[in-house]
Amino acid sequence: MSDPMAEIRASFFIECEELLESLQDGLQMMDDGSTDSETINIVFRAVHSIKGGAGAFGLDDLVQFAHRFETAMDEVRSGNFHPDSEAIRLFFTCADILGDLVRAARDDTPPPNDQIAPVLEKLDLLVGVEEEEDEDLDFTPMTLSLDLGDTPPLGLDDAGALADLPPLTFDTPVGKGFIISFKPENALYSSGNEPLYLFRALRDLGDLSVRCDISGLPALASIDPNCGYLSWALTLVTEEPEQAVREVFEFVDGLCALSISPLTDDNSALPAPEPEVTYPEPDVIPEIETKAAEAPVTQPEPAQTAPAQSAKSTGAPTQPRATVRVDLERIDRLVNLVGELVINQAMLSQSVVETGLPPNSPVSTGLEEFLQLTRDIQESVMMIRAQPIKSLFQRMGRIVREASASVNKEVKFHTDGETTEVDKTVIERLADPLTHMIRNAVDHGFETTEDRIASGKPSAGIVTLSAQHRSGRIVIEISDDGAGIDRERVKAKALEKGLIPEDAQLSDGDIDNLLFLPGFSTASEISNLSGRGVGMDVVKSAIQALGGRISISSQQGKGTTFSISLPLTLAVLDGMVVQVAGETLVVPLNAILETLTLTDQDLRQLGPETHVVQIRGGFVPLLDLGAELGYREPETSYVGATVLLIGQEDGNRAALAVDAIEDQRQVVIKGLEGSYGRVPGIAAATILGDGQIALILDPTDLVTQASGRTRVRAFPKALAG
Amino acid sequence: MALRDQLRVMVVDDMSTSRGLITNALDSFGIRNVASAADGPSALQKMATSPVHLVISDYNMPGMDGLQLLHSLRSNGATRGVGFLLITGRADREIIDMGKRLGMNNFLKKPFEPAGLRGAIEAIVGKL
Repeated sequence: MSDPMAEIRASFFIECEELLESLQDGLQMMDDGSTDSETINIVFRAVHSIKGGAGAFGLDDLVQFAHRFETAMDEVRSGNFHPDSEAIRLFFTCADILGDLVRAARDDTPPPNDQIAPVLEKLDLLVGVEEEEDEDLDFTPMTLSLDLGDTPPLGLDDAGALADLPPLTFDTPVGKGFIISFKPENALYSSGNEPLYLFRALRDLGDLSVRCDISGLPALASIDPNCGYLSWALTLVTEEPEQAVREVFEFVDGLCALSISPLTDDNSALPAPEPEVTYPEPDVIPEIETKAAEAPVTQPEPAQTAPAQSAKSTGAPTQPRATVRVDLERIDRLVNLVGELVINQAMLSQSVVETGLPPNSPVSTGLEEFLQLTRDIQESVMMIRAQPIKSLFQRMGRIVREASASVNKEVKFHTDGETTEVDKTVIERLADPLTHMIRNAVDHGFETTEDRIASGKPSAGIVTLSAQHRSGRIVIEISDDGAGIDRERVKAKALEKGLIPEDAQLSDGDIDNLLFLPGFSTASEISNLSGRGVGMDVVKSAIQALGGRISISSQQGKGTTFSISLPLTLAVLDGMVVQVAGETLVVPLNAILETLTLTDQDLRQLGPETHVVQIRGGFVPLLDLGAELGYREPETSYVGATVLLIGQEDGNRAALAVDAIEDQRQVVIKGLEGSYGRVPGIAAATILGDGQIALILDPTDLVTQASGRTRVRAFPKALAG
Repeated sequence: MALRDQLRVMVVDDMSTSRGLITNALDSFGIRNVASAADGPSALQKMATSPVHLVISDYNMPGMDGLQLLHSLRSNGATRGVGFLLITGRADREIIDMGKRLGMNNFLKKPFEPAGLRGAIEAIVGKL
């Protein structure tokens, strides 16, 4: 077994990431105007916990910074300081630095000291310098006499040995008892308090009689389980002072209607029941008490009994569910095994078919169930790998803040769909391309503040990052409300760089796609932000490496949207198995809109090599898959041919002619790029049930390449969107 | 049989790192009967079925803080005599005074060394 401390240390850094996340959440809520104490507490507690853990590992840089940050948040918490938006921005910066320090400590890299000093200076200006008061707290430990001997540990009814704590003493005058009326509010229950404990504490003070008023109880059908309806009248005969009784209710102060009046001769009889309540059973209380005594600690569960109130009203994250941390490698092994299981199951299905067993034979039906189970297992395994894209979005929030500060533009950051679950690997590999695109958006997408005001826009630009599931894929959009793409300038730049011919006829979409050409940069002066080196071409190939596609749409004066479409998983896909020129190929099912057999009326020929298919009044280019992939020469006629209608993200369509459609099935993706590099038009390969290897098509890549070639042969790359 | 073999401890902290650190330290003292919980309510629930002698709790926790937990423990006949060691990141006078009034047995300021934890425990229950 490895060193336990090293393990705890490793888990500390993981926990820090979670805390940093709730820190960002809390700050975001504050930024959105929440002044709720629980929100501020979330922020404070995150910083506090990071500091606490860091102290245990002697991470001094981290502790010192966290301490200053914590002190500032403590000022906010105690109401001494009311942060404005500038202060909250500073807190965001503090949170970023805190994250940097955590990672520096984790990776043993130098801390960002040059950033820390100015931030601390600002923090001091804002909330004042804290005087380090290490006050000497006098506290004498209270010894517990544990007579353990060989007796087993105490049971619930056997607390005697532990019950000899020194009694609490008070010096207020002594009366002979009190009448207490107590009506809990809902918040009392939702904050985990239990009236029973209060009554027990009172009982410990003297002779207690309890009467429960259930007149407020509605009919069963209209009971709201999150509401309390009971109130109590209690008589306590005691020598203790009123102070002692108030102590009992100290923690529910403000959470109940409470009145405590001294017991006099006039009222020393049991408190009269409320006039309108007439319940024949006099002895409700003891019964309740015995029941509760059997299961003493079932009530205080604030997380479950009242999430609606605390969580919803403050927008605070709900209590985390129980989780287990698992090494990613183990999950990947499982994913791989399930992949093999899918292949194996396909092979088995195939052999059953080949033996000629009837479809209703027990083997066939059993296999059917097996298929369903395999799919369920596969989905569950994929869900293990999936995680909300939120962490990635939060990192982008920082990029926006830093980028806008360095180019002196006011930019707001909005996110949408951050709970969308995405494969962990995809999330990790999206970080770089997204970072670059966000920087680009801030740097190039927005006009200067003056220009924005001049054109009637709000001075602060908005970058929106959104994620959603759309027809079996994940679509991530980065949009800005900036100036839109200046197409004249883009075209001029491309001409100047010799990327397009002088006489090129380009549609708006074609021009926009020029941005993805290697080495393209429109910023007339290279800013210190987007910099040189990495261009949108790198972004595009990173997205493509994930099996994704990127498209762009822009409106002059309104803004630009980049749309990234990604597969849900990198491991399997639903595919249609087709035959082309004697080869077996798999076409991803989600790319296929429909399949049809062509008739004479459907076909039009536009040139010697160019055919189009007429579908419901529109024309769609026809591509001969066999010819496109170089398996054979194009056919002379496509009458009677089977075609797959392919839809693309940009709304364009194409018809792929194939020889035959075989089957529709789930296939395991086996990457090719490691061995062959990127092959145009081919996404990956797979092993079919009969052991045969088949290529998986990338239809969109294929179509865009083909259309580029037929339309503007001079620069196919420019249009490979 | 030494005290450390008998002693049953409940560690309450919302941070798994802290629970790990405390449990690890207790283990190094030879205290093996250690349960842990991430919040006060679940600690109370666990203690209802398997009682302990000593609760070591963090102060700053969401929902129910360490002193509220102490209050709950002291309000319940079955747990009112349990030993209570509060661990705090900020040893404010206010917290300590309140702890005193509620019958806190001892407190320990973060960060602590295992030796400090041992001392704080021994001040409550005697030599381990």
